Amino acid sequence: MQRRKFLSLSGLAAVAALAPASVNAEDFRKTKPTVWTAHTVDDAITAMYGTTAATESGVTLTMPDVASNGGAVPVNVKSDIDAKSVAIFQNANPEAAIAAFTVHENSIINYDLKIKLKSDGTPITVTAIVEGKDGKLYVGKKTLTVALGGCEG
Amino acid sequence: MKVKAKLKGDIVKVKALAKHAMTTYDQAKKKTGNSDDANFITRITATVNGKIVYEVSTSQFLSKNPIMKFQFKGASKGDKVVMTWVDRKGNTKTGKGKIK
Repeated sequence: MQRRKFLSLSGLAAVAALAPASVNAEDFRKTKPTVWTAHTVDDAITAMYGTTAATESGVTLTMPDVASNGGAVPVNVKSDIDAKSVAIFQNANPEAAIAAFTVHENSIINYDLKIKLKSDGTPITVTAIVEGKDGKLYVGKKTLTVALGGCEG
Repeated sequence: MKVKAKLKGDIVKVKALAKHAMTTYDQAKKKTGNSDDANFITRITATVNGKIVYEVSTSQFLSKNPIMKFQFKGASKGDKVVMTWVDRKGNTKTGKGKIK
C-alpha cells in the first residue's frame, strides 16, 4: 500500500509540474508564425484572427501623445471584455506585431509594456485587438509621435 | 527576472523586469552584418500555484530590459509568482516573487 500511495503521489506531482506548459497555453509564435513576419497591421491582424473586422469599443489603449524616447514607449491596454486573447500592433516598425497575450481564467486585462517604435517624424498608430469569448474582435487605437527613434539603435 | 507582487483587495498587481538586450533584426544587421544574430524574448509566462496568470508571445519590439506590469485575481499573500522568459536562441530565465 505504501508503495502504491507513493507512486500515485509522484504521478500527480509530475502532472502538476507539466500542467503550466500544456494546459490552456498557446505560444502564438509557434501556432501563428506568419503574424510575426507580417509588415502591415492589417496583414498581421488577418494572420492572427482571420479577419480585420473589429468593433471600435471596449478597449482602452493608453500611451503618451508624444514619446520622448522611442526605445521605451509605455503602453497600457485595458478592457473589461470577457476575452480569449489580446494583441498589440503598430505601423512604424519593419514588422507589425508587438505582443500577443493569452487571457487566462484569473487574468485581468490591464497590461503594461514598454515597446520600441521607429521614428521618421510621421504619426504612428498603435492598435490593440481584444478577441472576445463571443468570437468578435474589439479594437482600441492610439496615434502618437516619437521624438527619438528606438529601432535604429 | 525580477518579480514584485502586491495584493490589494482581491487583485494582485505584479511588476516584473527582464534583463535582456532585445536586439532587433535591424540592429543585429548593423552590428554583425547578419540579421539572424537578432535575439529577443519571444515568450513570457507567469504562474501562481501552478496556474498560468499571464502569458504573452512577444516580438523584437519590446524595449531593452523590458518592464511589464499586469494584474490577476485568485491568489493570496505569501503565494509565489513564478515568471519565465524564453528568447529566440532558446535561453530561458526564471524569477520568483512572493505576493506581499
